[in-house]
Amino acid sequence: MTQLQQNDNLLTKSLPNPELNGDLSPEIEARNFNFYYNYGHFKALNNINLTVPRHKISAFIGSSGCGKSTFLRAINRMHDRTPGTSSEGQLLFEGQDINAITDTTDLRKRVGMIFQQPAPFPLSIFDNVAYGMRLEAQRVPKSEIADRVEQALRAAVLWKEVHDKLDQSGLALSGGQQQRLCIARAIAVEPAVLLMDEPCAALDPIATLKIEDLIRELSQNYTILIVTHNMEQASRVSDFTAFFTIDENRAGTLAEYGPTKQIFTKPRDRRTEDYITGRFG
Amino acid sequence: MSNTLLESSNQWIKSDLEDSKRTLQRHKLADRIATVVMSLAALLLVLVLLSVISILLYKGLSTISWKFLTSAGTFTEAGGGIGPQIFVSVYILFLSLLFTTPLGVGAAIYLAEYAKPGRLTTAIRFSTETLASVPSIVFGIFGAIVFLTIMGLGYSVLSGALTLTLLNLPLMVRIAEDAIRAVPNTYREASLALAGTQWETIRKIILPAALPGIITAIVLTGGRIIGETAPLILTTGTTISPNAQYSLNPFQTGETLAVHIWVLKIVGVPGLKDSQAVADGTAAVLLLIVLIVNIGAAYLSQRLQKNQRGAR
Repeated sequence: MTQLQQNDNLLTKSLPNPELNGDLSPEIEARNFNFYYNYGHFKALNNINLTVPRHKISAFIGSSGCGKSTFLRAINRMHDRTPGTSSEGQLLFEGQDINAITDTTDLRKRVGMIFQQPAPFPLSIFDNVAYGMRLEAQRVPKSEIADRVEQALRAAVLWKEVHDKLDQSGLALSGGQQQRLCIARAIAVEPAVLLMDEPCAALDPIATLKIEDLIRELSQNYTILIVTHNMEQASRVSDFTAFFTIDENRAGTLAEYGPTKQIFTKPRDRRTEDYITGRFG
Repeated sequence: MSNTLLESSNQWIKSDLEDSKRTLQRHKLADRIATVVMSLAALLLVLVLLSVISILLYKGLSTISWKFLTSAGTFTEAGGGIGPQIFVSVYILFLSLLFTTPLGVGAAIYLAEYAKPGRLTTAIRFSTETLASVPSIVFGIFGAIVFLTIMGLGYSVLSGALTLTLLNLPLMVRIAEDAIRAVPNTYREASLALAGTQWETIRKIILPAALPGIITAIVLTGGRIIGETAPLILTTGTTISPNAQYSLNPFQTGETLAVHIWVLKIVGVPGLKDSQAVADGTAAVLLLIVLIVNIGAAYLSQRLQKNQRGAR
């Protein structure tokens, strides 16, 4: 109990962070957010409070099983597919409660996602990028599709490599190209937010750096949330960093959230410091 | 003191080394034996397959001629003729697949994509598994009761096609469901995350990706339709009316190639002297049809997979 109170104190001390305010308008906000798997038997997230500002990159770090991905996937309601999941508290997107949205396609139109394993469809490169635009929910006029495919591929810095083979299968590309294709596919439908679940975990270092450059470039127009196990990546790429950890009940909690520079140079929470210094030796 | 200790430990290491060497040799030998046994099994399989094909063709090819394939046989004239039987076989194949494929794939989609674990799903699974092991002649009896008597369709191509549909549904559902389940989950999540509905995801991504497997299901089902006798004898009959040869009317009685062989060999046609030759010829034609369909399907599904994967 005392430990819990201590945790709460730590959380309130680090949150809400005054440095996060100012001209940064909130895009996604969690308020006392809890998440459960297995029909309420397993609490995966405990009392998450954080504000993700618009057009910034927020990195979620922490050891495996601490709920980073669970939190990310709650934002576009990816858990709806998993029987027995539920949540408490509020998770807001542009001020609207995500869990109160009846049609998830409305939400997912605005919140795109990039997965750990690059997953181009077994379609041509062109059809991969056009896939989202051709969906009922997106309603993109046919005449615009070809132009927007090119725009998206250019924005994902893939156009030069594929412009002469748009009719080839997306699966024939290299891993890094496949991931950039998936990013092109996600931004072709112009969402407001991009959720990235360890987007570089399956890539080699050079492909990783290319994706990181791309992420920085994209943050001018998109709010980006990135889950990563790679702390150097978090420090290189993100504006804000959230450090997740596991509490005594094995539920994921937010230990600290703040500007990346501060988290990595003078963390306020001892657990953050242990984790960061432990990793960097 | 320390010297003896060192020596004994040296010896111990040596014997240990010898031991592991022996184990390694034993493993290598076992590996070689296993390789030989498996290769022999594979070789045997190929031999069996080749001998089936060559014996049937050797016996049957001499009977096969353009006339044999296109004309109708009579009960008295030698030389036979299986044109109408080929037609009925293909017609029943087509008709039955027309029912089986959408029903089977539909059920497979439901089971793989929509069904939540629970009593209903367990019940559906259990009944398909059970139906899959029911002998085909039992389906024949069932078809005779339901389609011939209750629905009043009589001995007809339609009754036969419907009976075979029931017979083949479990197999179709099983293979199609496996094919759909084998589609990577990353495709589903990626499509849903782009604001695709579940149905869009199934229609645009999952079914095309599962198509090679579904084609396999269709081919296996087709093979069973072509080769089935017992249920057809009970529901479609064993005769083709001379004034309804090559008729598309599904309410006509019919006789497939397989049933034709049964009639020639088991029932017997007293007036026909070369019934053995006609049966051999029919068997060869049956085999050739199955071979052609299989090779065609394999080619199609390979091309589909290649198109999807692309050349790397």
